[in-house]
Amino acid sequence: MATLIRMPEVAAGATEIVLSKWLVSVGDQVNAGDLIAEMETEKAVVDYASDFGGKVHRIMASEGADVEVGSPILILLDAGEDGSAGDALLGGGGTATSTPAAQPVAEQPTSPQAPVVSPVIATVTPLVSPLVSPVASPVVTVAPAATAGDRTFVSPLVRKLARETGVDLAQVVGTGPNGRKVRRDLEAYLANRPTTSTTQKTQQPTSPVSATLAAGNVMSEPAGFTAVPHTGMRRAIARRLTESKSTVPHFYLSADCNVDELLELRKRINAASPVKISVNDLVVRAVALALVDVPEANVIWTPEAMHRFDSVDISVAVSTDGGLLTPIVRSAEKRSLANLSAEIADLATRSRAGKLRQEELEGGSFAVTNLGMFGTKEFAAILNPPQSGILAVGAASKRVVVIGDEISIANIMTVTLSADHRAIDGALAAQWLAAFVSRIENPLSMLI
Amino acid sequence: MTKRIPLSPKEPWVELRTTPSDWQKADPKLLATMLGQIHLIRAFEETVLQLAGEGLVHGPAHSSIGQEGGAVGSIVSLRATDAVNGSHRGHHQFLAKAIGFVAPEGLSLETLVSADLQEVLQRTLAEILGLAQGYCRGRGGSMHLQWKEAGALGTNAIVGGGVPLGAGHAWAQQNSGTTDMTISYFGDGAVNIGSVLETMNLTSAWNIPLVFFIENNLYAVSTRVEEVTGEERLSGRGTGFGIPSWRVDGMDPLAVHLAMEEISEHVRAGKGPAIIEAEVYRFFHQNGPFPGSAFGYRSKDEEEAWRKRDPMLRLANEMIKLGQLTQDQVDSVRAQAQSAMDSAVQQLLEADPAGKPGSRRIKSELWPEVDFVNVGVRGDASELTGARTQEQSSFSGETQEVRFVDAVAAVMDRRMQEDDRIVVLGEDIHRLKGGTNGATKGLVEKYPNRVLGTPISENAFAGLGGGMAMDGRFRPVIEFMYPDFMWVAADQVFNQIGKARHMFGGDNGVPLVIRTKVAMGSGYGSQHLMDPAGIFATSPGWRIVAASNPFDYIGLMNAALALEDPVLVIEHVDLYASKGSIPVSDLDYQTPFGKAAIKRAGKDLTVLTYLSMVNHSLDAVEQTGVDAEVIDLRWLDRASIDWDTIGASIKKTNAVVIVEQGALGTSYGGWLSDEIQRRFFDWLDQPVQRVHGGEASPSISRILERAAIAKTEEVVIGLKAASAGFGAHN
Repeated sequence: MATLIRMPEVAAGATEIVLSKWLVSVGDQVNAGDLIAEMETEKAVVDYASDFGGKVHRIMASEGADVEVGSPILILLDAGEDGSAGDALLGGGGTATSTPAAQPVAEQPTSPQAPVVSPVIATVTPLVSPLVSPVASPVVTVAPAATAGDRTFVSPLVRKLARETGVDLAQVVGTGPNGRKVRRDLEAYLANRPTTSTTQKTQQPTSPVSATLAAGNVMSEPAGFTAVPHTGMRRAIARRLTESKSTVPHFYLSADCNVDELLELRKRINAASPVKISVNDLVVRAVALALVDVPEANVIWTPEAMHRFDSVDISVAVSTDGGLLTPIVRSAEKRSLANLSAEIADLATRSRAGKLRQEELEGGSFAVTNLGMFGTKEFAAILNPPQSGILAVGAASKRVVVIGDEISIANIMTVTLSADHRAIDGALAAQWLAAFVSRIENPLSMLI
Repeated sequence: MTKRIPLSPKEPWVELRTTPSDWQKADPKLLATMLGQIHLIRAFEETVLQLAGEGLVHGPAHSSIGQEGGAVGSIVSLRATDAVNGSHRGHHQFLAKAIGFVAPEGLSLETLVSADLQEVLQRTLAEILGLAQGYCRGRGGSMHLQWKEAGALGTNAIVGGGVPLGAGHAWAQQNSGTTDMTISYFGDGAVNIGSVLETMNLTSAWNIPLVFFIENNLYAVSTRVEEVTGEERLSGRGTGFGIPSWRVDGMDPLAVHLAMEEISEHVRAGKGPAIIEAEVYRFFHQNGPFPGSAFGYRSKDEEEAWRKRDPMLRLANEMIKLGQLTQDQVDSVRAQAQSAMDSAVQQLLEADPAGKPGSRRIKSELWPEVDFVNVGVRGDASELTGARTQEQSSFSGETQEVRFVDAVAAVMDRRMQEDDRIVVLGEDIHRLKGGTNGATKGLVEKYPNRVLGTPISENAFAGLGGGMAMDGRFRPVIEFMYPDFMWVAADQVFNQIGKARHMFGGDNGVPLVIRTKVAMGSGYGSQHLMDPAGIFATSPGWRIVAASNPFDYIGLMNAALALEDPVLVIEHVDLYASKGSIPVSDLDYQTPFGKAAIKRAGKDLTVLTYLSMVNHSLDAVEQTGVDAEVIDLRWLDRASIDWDTIGASIKKTNAVVIVEQGALGTSYGGWLSDEIQRRFFDWLDQPVQRVHGGEASPSISRILERAAIAKTEEVVIGLKAASAGFGAHN
């Protein structure tokens, strides 16, 4: 029997996935388990294996295209089957739910009339019951609050309106329960969005797709810049940081750390050890131990309850060509310095190669970002939700310091903590920062 | 010294046996007709068992082979306008009534099967096979055989379930000025079930012309009668209810006939019901083509002894003895009956080319169309077409302020005055100046024969109403004093009344109204305080209306009484004392069918509610300041609900709160929420929110009762929860 393969929901909640590369071509024989494509989510590049075997009959998404989750991407034929069996798969089922807003499909050369499947399957037959009922409370039943994680919640209405108006939902800030993007959020966005697109929309009200294309033309005409199309990762960064900065109440604490002893210790370790330990490794270690010292700070805010963690999972910011990634070092407090260093190096390498797994990007309560290698003296970072702290680490440099009543020279590193005030109050943040400084300035304590 | 005075039953209990002189006196034409009927039924049943053995009968085939004497002896003299109903084992009674209907002058043993009779055999067999040409279009099958025109009211797969319905039919016969009667057949297993015993009491109290025909075949499936009762002479039940009772050998068709002659005289004279117990024997097991001995609960010797008393042989031998018949003629009757069945089968079956040699299959074109599956769950409400409707919002005539409960009594008075068919029944409705709440005030004085204070036996009087409604000459209005009592009557309410139209083919209406009052807040506790809307809304066949004010009550009750479907009319004790305006001189308008009422227009969210919660919702909206659109649903069942109004509102507000008062488990909003998310998913900006009571039934304790139910305060919480769904741009 011919098999229709649809774009999988590679990451939870993803609505569009970039099909970066096909690993098979029309006519190839595929076995179940064979890798058939590379897909790029907002966070990572994923190798996608087919669950089915067969001969590749049609490929329905071009490389580099954004494909809606659920859209057909490939048809496999069984031995001896002719193409009509495969083509027939496109005739029925959910394929009828095409929507006018599915812009990527028009670019697909192999199948100009390829149907588009909306991510929301609307054609439920009247007799089929949903499998899940909302949990009820005694008096007022409210749908259960999901753990948001990295999912973006969009109400069904907003999903539909966004399709109809061609709005990129990444630009709409959700303020409903669980950060759900609700009607009023979309209305607020539409009321405030740049007039050019509004004008375009007014001129071409019946065709949001062509309006978008036209807007692109208008923008690319003036000389002086090149429009670089957004990647999924770029959009994710934009969306998540906008959301963080506009919805999470940040506050900032800075401290100067005397790193003379730390630098000396590092020199001695690296002289003796085959693994080279970086300052950053030591900083991550200090962060982990400071969170053990002040466990009240190892928390995140959720609408229902504060989550206090049993172990310390720390994100490490890694700059890649595509943008910033924040892989997680799990149980950082339990790792030896060498192990921690190796783990960070591995995550950084795989981040740059785009080979992180989705789960390596999820979770954590705290992040470390370090621009010291660029000579940056100090900076303040934006929180990476749902984490409640991020430590921005500047370069260590010789500075004049006053010790007692005497002026002397020491290697000083300025760090700035950004904290989520919903989860961490000022005094607690200060207490944690003091613990961090103490660990950094007494580096032997980090070797125990 | 204590005196001991012997007492005796009010009514006699006798056993009737035939003597040779009875046989000599019997009309030969009558005997010939009975013989012909028994042979036709026997051949029919043998055919059914054969087809069952071939796997062509879907579901059980309860054969009556061996029991034909009781059915034929009792039905052979009935009028076309008399009626019968029966149990899961009812082919023989159905056929006896149907044969009598198409051959009222009796049967000729020379040409046994007329064209009409051939059609009866074929259509009955087709029904048992589940085919479109059957009397119930294949829906009823073996266990729900109905041919109303012939007076076959319907066999019944619930043990004893048909007996209250038979009583309702008999009540209608009596109160239509006829001397017709109804026989309800049931077995020894059904004698001990409440439906039967309640109905014995009720019919005796009201002298209803119902004959309780007990086919005592000694076994309820495999359980012998002595195991389950201390008085295995089952006709003995009658003396406790003041019902005259007969016991007779059911293997002797003439004995049954003669007993029925006596019974008929008693019942048709208006003296009330009668009981007849016919001792019979089914030659086979409960169902299928094996004898009971094959299953080990009785012996082959016992079966052999009963087979020697086969009513078919007994009757033929008596007639041969009397010189009315030869064995050749008997053989010819047998051959004619078998041949008729062969031709019926020929019409329905064909060779199965894919099967083994000789195997047969049903002709595929004879099956019902699949899209017939839901047709006739209810009527199409076309009976309301052209009715004069009136809405309070647009009424410009003179109005008066009345208490809600007075509007309840007033509209019923008006309808009973205009429509002689309406009969009101329930507990205490004829006393206490209008029942326990005054809702039937003044009715019994004006319509003494149509306001019936019932015994406390909800199953019997609900079924009595069901039987009246299915007959069609009367329109019963049944009051359940509290909604929870529906569970006591659940078989009649849900299995019988709700399913009857559909199960018997979809054409015959069941015009019946149940009135009941939600009493949450009255302190009556866990077993009285439910809201029945959710249970009825999720059960097939019922329409449901609920009024939040007297004006709508009048219009909704008028519509309910005009519909050909069973309608639940829900009232609320909290509303009874409330006042509202109604027209001064108009109690005849209807509320538009399937139309909700927008009680408050709004743009932020849609509140869907009914009954007393309409006012609570309006109060809560005022308190919270949310710009909610409050919709009084009025018509609650899935066939009558106003999707146009609901849909337009949801498309405007994109948010829904369903508000009801009662417990979560049996709540109304569950199905509605489900339906809304299917129909309007892309229009919803947040989950459908709900306000309802707790999981527990409301307790007696005032504090706990209040905590268990929803009122204004809970609606406020619900509105706030929904408002939180608007996000920060509010």
